[in-house]
Amino acid sequence: MATEQNGATQSSDDWVRLISADGYKYFVKRKIVLVSPTLRSMLDASSNFAEAASNTCRVNERGAVLEKLLEYLSFKFLYENASLNEDIPDFQERIAPEIALELLTAADYYDS
Amino acid sequence: MAAPVRRSTKFIKPPKKHGPNISVDEIWSKLSVNIVEILNHRAELLSYEENYRYAYNLVLYRAGDTLYKGACKLIAENLDKLAEQDIKSVFPSGSSDNAIQQSQESELLLKAVRKVWDDFTTSLLRLRDILRYMDRVYTTSARVPETWDTGLLIFLEHIIRPPFQGHIIAAILNQIQTEREGFDINRSAVKGCVDVLLSLEERNGDMTIYKRDLEPEILRESEAFYKAEGEKLLETCGAPEYLQRVESRFDSEESRTHHYLSSQTDAPLRRILEQHLLSPHLPSILHKLHSGLDFMIDGDKLDDLSRLYRLFIMVPEGLPLLKKALRESVIRRGTEINASSTGTDITSQKANEDEDLSSKAKGKGKARPPVTLATQTLQIALKWVQDVLDLKDKFDIIWSRSFKENRDIEATLNEAFGSFINLNAKSPEFISLFIDDHLKKGLKGKSELEVDLVLDKTITVFRFISDKDIFETHYKKHLSKRLLFNRSVSDDAERGMLAKLKVECGTQFTQRMEGMFHDMKISSETMEAYRKHSEQAQNLNIELSVIIQTSTFWPTMGHQTPCVFPELLIKASKSFEQFYLSRHTGRRLTWQPWLGSAEVRTAFNSGKTHVLNVSTLAMVILLLFEDLDGSEFLTYEDIKSATDIEDTELQRQLQSLACAKYKILKKHPPSREISTQDSFSFNAEFSSPLHNIKISTIASKVENADERKETKDRVEEERRYSMDACIVRIMKDRKHMTHNDLVNEVTRQLTGRFLPNPLDIKKRIEGLIEREYLERCEDRKSYNYVA
Repeated sequence: MATEQNGATQSSDDWVRLISADGYKYFVKRKIVLVSPTLRSMLDASSNFAEAASNTCRVNERGAVLEKLLEYLSFKFLYENASLNEDIPDFQERIAPEIALELLTAADYYDS
Repeated sequence: MAAPVRRSTKFIKPPKKHGPNISVDEIWSKLSVNIVEILNHRAELLSYEENYRYAYNLVLYRAGDTLYKGACKLIAENLDKLAEQDIKSVFPSGSSDNAIQQSQESELLLKAVRKVWDDFTTSLLRLRDILRYMDRVYTTSARVPETWDTGLLIFLEHIIRPPFQGHIIAAILNQIQTEREGFDINRSAVKGCVDVLLSLEERNGDMTIYKRDLEPEILRESEAFYKAEGEKLLETCGAPEYLQRVESRFDSEESRTHHYLSSQTDAPLRRILEQHLLSPHLPSILHKLHSGLDFMIDGDKLDDLSRLYRLFIMVPEGLPLLKKALRESVIRRGTEINASSTGTDITSQKANEDEDLSSKAKGKGKARPPVTLATQTLQIALKWVQDVLDLKDKFDIIWSRSFKENRDIEATLNEAFGSFINLNAKSPEFISLFIDDHLKKGLKGKSELEVDLVLDKTITVFRFISDKDIFETHYKKHLSKRLLFNRSVSDDAERGMLAKLKVECGTQFTQRMEGMFHDMKISSETMEAYRKHSEQAQNLNIELSVIIQTSTFWPTMGHQTPCVFPELLIKASKSFEQFYLSRHTGRRLTWQPWLGSAEVRTAFNSGKTHVLNVSTLAMVILLLFEDLDGSEFLTYEDIKSATDIEDTELQRQLQSLACAKYKILKKHPPSREISTQDSFSFNAEFSSPLHNIKISTIASKVENADERKETKDRVEEERRYSMDACIVRIMKDRKHMTHNDLVNEVTRQLTGRFLPNPLDIKKRIEGLIEREYLERCEDRKSYNYVA
């Protein structure tokens, strides 16, 4: 998981910056971000919105929620094409009850 | 990270409201401004997140309806504006009559439409991204199409409508027309616009606008165009050019549908071409004067013919028409060949009533009228076969190269060949003569392979003959002559030919001919034995060679003239007879001297000795002069009484001895024809640079009217036997049969040899009833077999 608070890695095209509502910045691999359809359209170069142009998405969530969201995206990325007999851990265990509701709305928003 | 903080608070926070708490109207007014921006391609300045959240909130606050309708309205307004500024401005003026200008205007219009479409779709794509949450949550529950489909419908309502629609279709048609007339157009412009129409669908159902509006127009226009084009072309150009044009039309229409129309139009468009360029004009193409089918065949225009074939098989009525025309053409050509052979026959009949048929060209180079005539008739026969072969070759080449070896056409051609070949009553004889000619001397100029090839071809012609038994009769006659006079150049070739016939007609057909070959072999073995035998016994001063013919295998030939052998021959033949009968009891030998030949060693005054190769009869005549002094004469009557040879035969023999190229006898008075008053003496002054001299019998093998009748009678007789045998065979098998079935069965079994006439079959059945092989049943329609 590549969550960093400071821009240690200089942004190549493969990295996307996500900023939470309370100011946390996350550098995430683009392929992981693209798992969410909403984020995918946001970053779609052909429609060329401001987010795509700057490679930066402002996410209107708390850092804690955003982090869990990103964790889920990478989880989904990892296991989406897993073979049947592979052991897939349960993601539910990792969700803290206090952010569950917020995460739920975020999941709806980001369509993931 | 903020994790420790999160863990410490043990209660669940309610989710905070998304976005600022402002009214629906406020959100919409903000979003609508942004949508307009997007539609005007100024999206770079906008935040996706912001707009997505607007739409999200609107849907969340149950204002999806407002959002959807508002967006539709904005899209529609935008489209109207675009149409106004981009399309209206390039509307064709309609005032100009100039075709080029019209075409350019059409192109501009099509380009403009495409541009509007491109503009529209890119912004619609962005809009769809923004309104993704609405598509997901609102549209399905509200039962409205998603953003993209809605956009297309709006496009349909605002752009593809009068007057735009009419102009667009007119422009496309104009471009097609321009291209059909041979000018270049901007295909991509047309394609762009056609693609737009193809991707638009009606609100209900799955018919594209292309299918609904454009295709019928294109087809109607094409129909009118090609109808006129077909008639115009037919008037102005010949068949090959017409076909060429038509084919290129087919090609260009196909490339048109592939390149800028839809492939679904391909089939109907093709049908229009077929219906207007081909179907109605096929007969006129085939029979066009100086350029139609016959002309192409004459000129061996294989390319044109292949094109003709390709186009004709496209339409259902093409092949039958082509077949009919080919049939007519073959039969016409065949009849010409027939006519040219009979035509000369008639002239020769005028010259000599008897010699209306061909003969073996024995006396080539002799200047005698009958001989020339015979040669001429032979030439006619050979020419006929050669012509037929050439014709067959020609059509075979056309068939294989141009008609793609179509089975139907092959059958038609064969049928046509068969019908004209059978029109000529002499064809079986001609073919037999042709084979005879090739087996006799063919190998001289040609390699064995070539002869084989020619014979193979002849077999193909032979296949067409329906009266195969007539051919058999002639072939047997020719074969026996070749065998007896040792004329066939190669035994292998003979046997090869026989094998070919066997393959064609079965063992029964060649049985007798094989018997002839067998006889030849047995004879030579017998002679070997006889020679050994005679060495031990008495020594004769002549060398005898006998060929024993089984009487059923060999055709009876020539006039069976009696002939009195001189002493010498009688002795020799008696000795052989004794020898032969001692080996085979219960057989009867009949001497047939008119089929034999002899070599006579003769000394002349010049001091030279020549070996004269003459017929046996001529030898008998020459032997009469052996004991005479050089100056003594024998009258015609003397010779006749001494030899007892029949008049016509004797005259012929004398003619060949006294009046031909080598004059061994002197005739008094000298003239060309022999009369009963003539007398003859031995020509001791004869001299020739050659040691061996072959004296052929003149014009002996002309089949005259009598012989022809005889052949015919013999054939008739054989046919009667064949029919009898066939009927009995069938009835023995079936025991009971109706008349019609029996006639059909007999016809079926005998067609391999000849075509029996039902009336004849009936006669034979009656004969068999009389002879109590069959009996008539009570219903008067069927027969029983009587064992």
